[in-house]
Amino acid sequence: MIDPSVVRPEIALDDFLPIFVSSALVLVFGGIYVGIYTAVKVKLLKPWTMVIAYGFWMLTAYCLYLMGSLMHVGEFTAKALVVAAIGLFLLPFAVYYMQNQVHEENEH
Amino acid sequence: MANNHLTSESKQLATWYFTFAAILFGAQLLFGLVAAIQYVMPGFLYEILDFSIARILHINALVVWMVFAMFGSVYWLLPDETGIETIGIKIGKLIYWVFVAAIVVVVLVYLLVQVGPADATTIWFITEGREYIEAPRWADWGIVVVALTFVANLFLTGIKGKQTGIVTVLMADMIAFAGLYLAGMFFTDNISVDQYWWWWVIHLWVEATWEVFVGAIAAYGLITMIGAHRKVVEMWLWIEVAMLFGSGILGLGHHYFWIGTPEYWWEIGALFSALEPLPLVAMFVHVLYDWGKTQGGEEARGSSASVIKNKPAFTWFVLNAFGNFLGAGIWGFFHTLPQVNLYTHGSQFTSAHGHLAFFGAYATILIGMMYIAVQGTNGIKIMKHTKASIWGVSMVTGGVVGMTVALTIAGYVQVLVSRAQMGATWAAYFDGQSGSWFTQAMDWRLILGAVTFSGFLLLAKDLLTTGKSPVHER
Repeated sequence: MIDPSVVRPEIALDDFLPIFVSSALVLVFGGIYVGIYTAVKVKLLKPWTMVIAYGFWMLTAYCLYLMGSLMHVGEFTAKALVVAAIGLFLLPFAVYYMQNQVHEENEH
Repeated sequence: MANNHLTSESKQLATWYFTFAAILFGAQLLFGLVAAIQYVMPGFLYEILDFSIARILHINALVVWMVFAMFGSVYWLLPDETGIETIGIKIGKLIYWVFVAAIVVVVLVYLLVQVGPADATTIWFITEGREYIEAPRWADWGIVVVALTFVANLFLTGIKGKQTGIVTVLMADMIAFAGLYLAGMFFTDNISVDQYWWWWVIHLWVEATWEVFVGAIAAYGLITMIGAHRKVVEMWLWIEVAMLFGSGILGLGHHYFWIGTPEYWWEIGALFSALEPLPLVAMFVHVLYDWGKTQGGEEARGSSASVIKNKPAFTWFVLNAFGNFLGAGIWGFFHTLPQVNLYTHGSQFTSAHGHLAFFGAYATILIGMMYIAVQGTNGIKIMKHTKASIWGVSMVTGGVVGMTVALTIAGYVQVLVSRAQMGATWAAYFDGQSGSWFTQAMDWRLILGAVTFSGFLLLAKDLLTTGKSPVHER
């Protein structure tokens, strides 16, 4: 017989798998987003595929939302996750812009 | 490694460091295999080489071979970056032998003495008992002397020679790397306070200073292997330093959730841990960007030739970008927030993350540096893959990824059974480990560990013989 006082009720048993899968997909989708973005910018992919990149960022944001909801994160952590989603969206813009500026300055 | 093409004593010393690192890498895998067998057959080598000792050897050999390979990498790149011979190289060489001798003695004591009377004698002469940095205190002080000599070599050369961005970053990074070791050298009566400082060594090494080191080595590798533009690469390196230190230092909070520190560490740990994957994603962009731009520039000039001058090394560097993202990023983010870490903490999830993160973030790039050293040592212009290098990289990588998957499954069982259903009790711990999913996962971990070790043997063979292979362009 398990003493009920030692069992932590915060996360439902069925929610663990979706939590792990969605948290893994945050970075998988995030990685695909920045990968497609960069590939388009360095002309390895056609420009229209950028739409797909933004689609993957939206999936990333959804996975962060799902993960946070299932974990029942507090108000502060929820804000931290929103900051992470925005940071991931802006990251390839910022990195590409800075890299490209340095490249232009040194090649022209 | 033959050394007839070596242009400096510093590079020669680097090959010594790489050689001993490779030997320790083999020892790490061998003792890991012993520990994996003991999970499946608990009686294996009982009272001869118990799990506790095999595990000490497995994880300490991991840390030490990586430190050796890191020192080797710095000694290798210093003459290229600064344009001069490493200053104080004779003392550097002497200290190398002191370091090797100390490590051999420590390993022999672990193997032959194993345990002590649990008083000051044990701490001074057998083990300090702190996971990952278990060297006895005499060896601790020896490591401090070795690290100071290494830092002196780096600083004196960096100040006198050409000061590139890579060397400047390494100088700042290595002083932090060496200094942080001191935080793991003293004991306090309070276990929470003790753990608080111990994490300064472990976390601030692997999630701050080591990651910055990887950034610097990746920068050097991209310039050396694909001719990436130095200013672009170095500009990126500064961004990476800012991002890694910005998220990594306070990401320390995710180790402070359950050790008795104040509760505000929950919020700090959650925020900075959520941000920690960002630089890893950015690293991925960086490699793709530099490769794409350099190859694109070559094709614009009408050449379809590959810009890669060392294919085995470049393969390991690309694996580093993916592996860091997967092992440190995905497998770390899985269980980094306190709400879920309450259930995953100390389970095989941690072990899965540890295996893939150490391999992906560090082992890959350090093996890549070994291939760069083989190329330089043998005067090879374009280094190509051999059958052994392809099998080696495939088996080692496949083996580690497979072990990670197996350990993740085992961890998932522990989370559900040992933690969520049964509340982390003593009985829950054993129930979780006796289920068929857990035991089968451990069987697979052993099989894939054997694959990894076999891959290592091929890798070692390739590193020793590829220099003379006729497949390369000279």
